[in-house]
Amino acid sequence: MYAKTILRNIKRNTNGWLVLSLIGAAVVLLPILSIFISVFQPPNENWQHIKQFLLMDYVLQSIWLVSFTGVFSVFIGVTLAWLVTAYQFPLKNFFRWALVLPLAIPPYIAAYTYSNMLSYTGIVQKTIREQFGITPNPHWFDVMSMEGAIFIFTMFLYPYVFMITKAFLEHQSASYIENARLLGRGSFTIFFRIVLPLSRPAIIGSLMLVIFEVLSDYGVTSYYGVQTISTAIFSTWFGMYDVESAVRLAAWLMCGVIGLFLLERILRRNRRFNASTSKARPLVPQRLYGVKAVLALLFCLVVLSLSFIIPILQLIVWATWSYQDVLTSDFVQLTLNTLSVALIATVLIMTCSLIVANVCRIQSNSFANLLSRLITAGYSLPGAIIAIGVLNLFIGSDHLLDRLYEQMGWGETPFMLSMTIVMIIVGYVVRFMATGYNAVEAGFDKMGTTYMNASRLLGYGITRTFIKVDLPLLKGALLSGAILTFVEIIKELPLALLLRPFNFETLATKTYQYASDERIFEASIPSLFIIAVSILSVLVFHRLGEK
Amino acid sequence: MNVVDVQELSFRYTPKQSPIINGVSFSIDEGSIVGILGPSGSGKSTLLRLIAGLEVPSAGRIAISGKVVVDPSTFVPPENRGVGMVFQDYALFPHLTVAENVEFGLHRLPKKSRVVRVGEMLELVHLTGFEKRYPHELSGGQQQRVALARALAPKPSILLMDEPFSNLDAELKSVIRSELREILQKANMTCLFVTHDQLDVEAICDSSLVL
Repeated sequence: MYAKTILRNIKRNTNGWLVLSLIGAAVVLLPILSIFISVFQPPNENWQHIKQFLLMDYVLQSIWLVSFTGVFSVFIGVTLAWLVTAYQFPLKNFFRWALVLPLAIPPYIAAYTYSNMLSYTGIVQKTIREQFGITPNPHWFDVMSMEGAIFIFTMFLYPYVFMITKAFLEHQSASYIENARLLGRGSFTIFFRIVLPLSRPAIIGSLMLVIFEVLSDYGVTSYYGVQTISTAIFSTWFGMYDVESAVRLAAWLMCGVIGLFLLERILRRNRRFNASTSKARPLVPQRLYGVKAVLALLFCLVVLSLSFIIPILQLIVWATWSYQDVLTSDFVQLTLNTLSVALIATVLIMTCSLIVANVCRIQSNSFANLLSRLITAGYSLPGAIIAIGVLNLFIGSDHLLDRLYEQMGWGETPFMLSMTIVMIIVGYVVRFMATGYNAVEAGFDKMGTTYMNASRLLGYGITRTFIKVDLPLLKGALLSGAILTFVEIIKELPLALLLRPFNFETLATKTYQYASDERIFEASIPSLFIIAVSILSVLVFHRLGEK
Repeated sequence: MNVVDVQELSFRYTPKQSPIINGVSFSIDEGSIVGILGPSGSGKSTLLRLIAGLEVPSAGRIAISGKVVVDPSTFVPPENRGVGMVFQDYALFPHLTVAENVEFGLHRLPKKSRVVRVGEMLELVHLTGFEKRYPHELSGGQQQRVALARALAPKPSILLMDEPFSNLDAELKSVIRSELREILQKANMTCLFVTHDQLDVEAICDSSLVL
């Protein structure tokens, strides 16, 4: 190709949109890159100690936690998905959406709710003692352990598996299952020979979501005393103020996450089954009678009670005991803090998503493909890694600014970026860009390019086309993306704990603080607030999935 | 004068692929209606998209009204080419009414002349009285006529039509064919349209081009 042609192509694709996209990508990538770069610096003494005595333990505990949670949530999620798609039993239509609700309860809230319900003074042991006059061994109710953490993660993360597998089974599998039935196979064989292999991509995809959630968790594991890499990142930073070692731990965790990604790719390779007929019929459920119907109903009911109804009721009871102490002007301030930070971050994320998604749509080449991958890289990384990356970056820039100010003679009052809410907002943007971006991208995909082309041929440039045509047509996708992002930000704990400025509390950090101060009843109010907002997003998410 | 002048035009999606369009040259006189014929996959629609500026050729040159719009060192974006296009699925903006759709391309005119022009165009396509309707409230044939009015409104130097009859049933097709010819002649419009039906060409074209 001639130089002048290359020049022409560069000129054709270069505009304000591209420049803004590149800035957005840089903001997302710099914190992640800063972790990589730090790894190549010589380690300090502390790291030698961590590596020699602790790292192995962290890694093993993480693997242990992830494996068991993964197995159990796949078991519960897939079984429930199969029950509600293939069979008809009482209350089935209620369970179809209600079984998604546990997603609205962040695991750290569930963790302290359960541990207190089951404690010596909690409702369970108290009832047994007072109503039945038996004093059971308190050890039987000890959930503050690895097993307890696995239970919590399973009960509150299985809905990912349930939701995605159910959507797949409902839309894709009808003809295969009906054929197998016609060929005279029983439901047991059908489940293991047809349903499980067919839904493998859906199961693996949702399992990855569960694993990423477990790996990023700090609330449950620290409360239950399970030492994972994520909790180790916190203790090296808060306990030893050793950012360098925290960065190294983050790099280790990142290796694990990248490894998982590669594993997912391999597991799903050549396994993207697509229906051979373009029109997929929904599966017609079989009616269950008698004992079978009762068993199906009971199973759904037990899971839903453990994972939603019981903890919610308990939180409401606690809230009635403590609301007078908690609902003060401080709480209002805290709620406003949370909402405003989340709102700023959501607006930034949605703006950036719109710009980048539009550039990718217009250019649709390998560069655009790479850009959209990079901008969404934050989501698969645990909050603690991103927080450490952002922290690293801001401390670095503060040093730079410090020198700059000294040279300019303003050394008296150092301007510290790492002391402001800018840092936490950047953290949120990096972490949750993908939530907003995926919604916008899906909206653009559905819309296609013909409206844009028609508008351009009628004499409008990219920007005016965007304002007059794309934006009005994209309203729905934009709104649902914004709601999902907003809620994710409100729920996020580890990132907020690491990046908030001194004395700045969000609902999530306040909940965590109350819980770790053993002020459980007080914690119920911010918890219920977070759950209420989350239910909204779960319902939005569920509706999107139904479409 | 040649409204469109295409020289040695080639196009491929990726450098490895064999070209879909290979060294095509032709020119179109002002006021003529030209049909592009060819089997599916022969690059008919791509040729229109190249002229419109929605794709970039791998080699060759296109000039519209004597001005080069694409060659190895030039690329004029679609919004500045003065080309009108009727898409196969019409692409009427679903959030705008019929009048707003037709008015969309008239942003360079003052407000008063816009209203006048919209009225003229709707009269031309026999849709006066439908101004306030939304696209989904119209039949297929009506939608197509709105798309035609919208494309003609800014007085483009050439009108491109991609399979204009493919979404219409057979009966409607023959009516619309003769109507189209009449409308284009009234507007003295140069038109290049893609079809796979020899009958379309015989019915309305002055000449044809086979890919």
